[in-house]
Amino acid sequence: MVKYFAKRLGMTLAAMLAIILITFCLMHAVPGGPFTSDRKVTPEVEAALNEKYGLNDPLPVQFVNYLGGLLHGDLGPSYKYTGKTVNEFIVNGFPVSARLGAATILFVLLAALPMGILAAVKNGRWQDMGIMAVATVGVTIPSFVIASILIYLFSFKLGWLPTYGLDSWKGYILPVIALGGYSVSYLARLTRSSLLEVMGQDYIRTARAKGLSEFKVITRHALRNALLPVITVLGPTVANLLTGSFVVEKIFAIPGLGVHFVNSVSQRDYTTIMGVTVFYAAFLMAMVLVVDVFYCLIDPRIKYE
Amino acid sequence: MEDKWAPLEQSSEDREKIWRKNRTFAGDVWFRFRHKPTAIAGLVMILLLLLFSLLGPLFTPYSYADQNLRGVNIPPLMKVYEIPNGQRVYITQALKLLRVNSDNTLGEPLPFLREESGKSMSVFDCDGTELALYYGGGSYVVCDEQSGNIYSSGHVWNRTNLLGTDALGRDILARLMYGTRVSLAVAFVAVLVNLVIGILYGGLSGYLGGAADAVMMRIVDIISTIPLTLYVILIMVVLGPGLHSIIIALGTVYWVDMARVVRGQVLGLKQQEFVLAARTIGSSTKTILAQHLIPNAMGAILVTVTMLIPSAIFMEAFLGYLGIGLQPPLASLGTMCNDANANLRTSPYELFIPALVICLIMFAFNFVGDGLRDALDPKLKK
Repeated sequence: MVKYFAKRLGMTLAAMLAIILITFCLMHAVPGGPFTSDRKVTPEVEAALNEKYGLNDPLPVQFVNYLGGLLHGDLGPSYKYTGKTVNEFIVNGFPVSARLGAATILFVLLAALPMGILAAVKNGRWQDMGIMAVATVGVTIPSFVIASILIYLFSFKLGWLPTYGLDSWKGYILPVIALGGYSVSYLARLTRSSLLEVMGQDYIRTARAKGLSEFKVITRHALRNALLPVITVLGPTVANLLTGSFVVEKIFAIPGLGVHFVNSVSQRDYTTIMGVTVFYAAFLMAMVLVVDVFYCLIDPRIKYE
Repeated sequence: MEDKWAPLEQSSEDREKIWRKNRTFAGDVWFRFRHKPTAIAGLVMILLLLLFSLLGPLFTPYSYADQNLRGVNIPPLMKVYEIPNGQRVYITQALKLLRVNSDNTLGEPLPFLREESGKSMSVFDCDGTELALYYGGGSYVVCDEQSGNIYSSGHVWNRTNLLGTDALGRDILARLMYGTRVSLAVAFVAVLVNLVIGILYGGLSGYLGGAADAVMMRIVDIISTIPLTLYVILIMVVLGPGLHSIIIALGTVYWVDMARVVRGQVLGLKQQEFVLAARTIGSSTKTILAQHLIPNAMGAILVTVTMLIPSAIFMEAFLGYLGIGLQPPLASLGTMCNDANANLRTSPYELFIPALVICLIMFAFNFVGDGLRDALDPKLKK
């Protein structure tokens, strides 16, 4: 088991290194230097800037320097905002995104699991049909469409909820629904099909035969196994929420990391793009690793190869 | 009368004959597919969308880039005012009056006479009748200048721009046709590129096995841990915005799933006797892969393709919405939604129309994918 985890950790580190390398190469493959812009810079100034940020060194040296910085948790300076570092962006933006993300995960779990369970228990009846219809619609509508429709309805037409910001609990409602809509639908479908499969197993019949109430059969026996596949997709779900937050943060004007990333992309702030990408990737891979480890711990049937 | 109780004539040939009509595998799949209403609905929807986006532009006088700044943000359902001399007028957002012809098309703007700023009115001339546009209240109305009586109003469908115009006065229907075409084309080409890379990579990996397979699959494992959205965005930054960049970005990123599917299929198939037989008669690796393994894996590949297309469309819309997709005046469904966001309060239809088309495309491909999966492999059906 330890060996398995060590292997997984090694894989993750290798992937991380690959990501840093690819990101670094991509950002240096961009035509023009980082200071090429509409505003003309005199050659002397450009040379001084290149010297200051070490851009005259050969690429491998730059890469090693960048890696060294990363090991110390230093993502380098921003090329567009003088005096700001990428670390500052992350320190300022990430907590906001994380709060939104945590609220969304909570909402996803609290909405998707009951929906899936209800649909499976009432299999084939109108409750099932209704929930599955909602879930099918949910996976086909992009988050920005959900967000815009919600804003139009609840902010413009009804005036109940704010259109931007996270100042009060009310501000969370619309972004959380827009961000979590896809995941709720996906997880509800998954919970339903997984629970249906488990309900057909012999040990469920045994549990019923010994006279347990249907409620106990489902909560004590069926759900424990049915929720395993749901846990597996939690990692990718986190990834979905994080990247989905690019759009949702933009629409609701939430000063999170996603908006920073999108802005740095349109402003071509290369160090920020690189730093935030590496940070996102590290965060996501750590989440996936944690979910995998957790999964192995709770399901003894999994063999560690 | 014939004896009904006479024994049937029996011949030894009939005994072995299969009386039921012979059905090919493809026929079988089609049989199962067409008995699923959602799958057929999806297929019809895809065909209609293709027709709409490919042939539609032939029937509209507008192109996706034609701007008409006189008539911006005109909705499909216009509010028109009936004025005493029998004419009808429409108030534009720029506080001008447009004549509405009897066939509900938009006509020329009315000549401006004078400004009555004390009364918050602009006065226009309509065939000798003076009309006042009152802009002091919550909503703009057309009234009589002297008495202030508001003329009666009603709603008519816009016959000039069937789905209205956007913030630059471009015809939404024309842009929608063009945008649907771009979105579908991006998705198809990107998926085609993925298909080729995925089949080559997965097929080779699965067929070679051993150390080559292990190395190739480790690489795939590493790539699949990378969040794809981030990479699509990075590639877009490097290549710059534009149609070909989107196709390259999407095409080089999604092949991982395809490679895994193909490898899994090939791995299972290559143990079977027909591959052994092919190898015995001396077929080369290329022949075995291309003639025996890939055709047998086609079912799973097809299902993956129909599932990849919606993700590619999703991603293209996502990039367009973030503003790093196509550049104006080109339109895609995502950029149309993005453009519409600024006017969401006054002109929600500009967002809802392309959003609806995105949803239709997603529905259609998801339904077809589900139907295809069930039809190709009934065992999977739950």
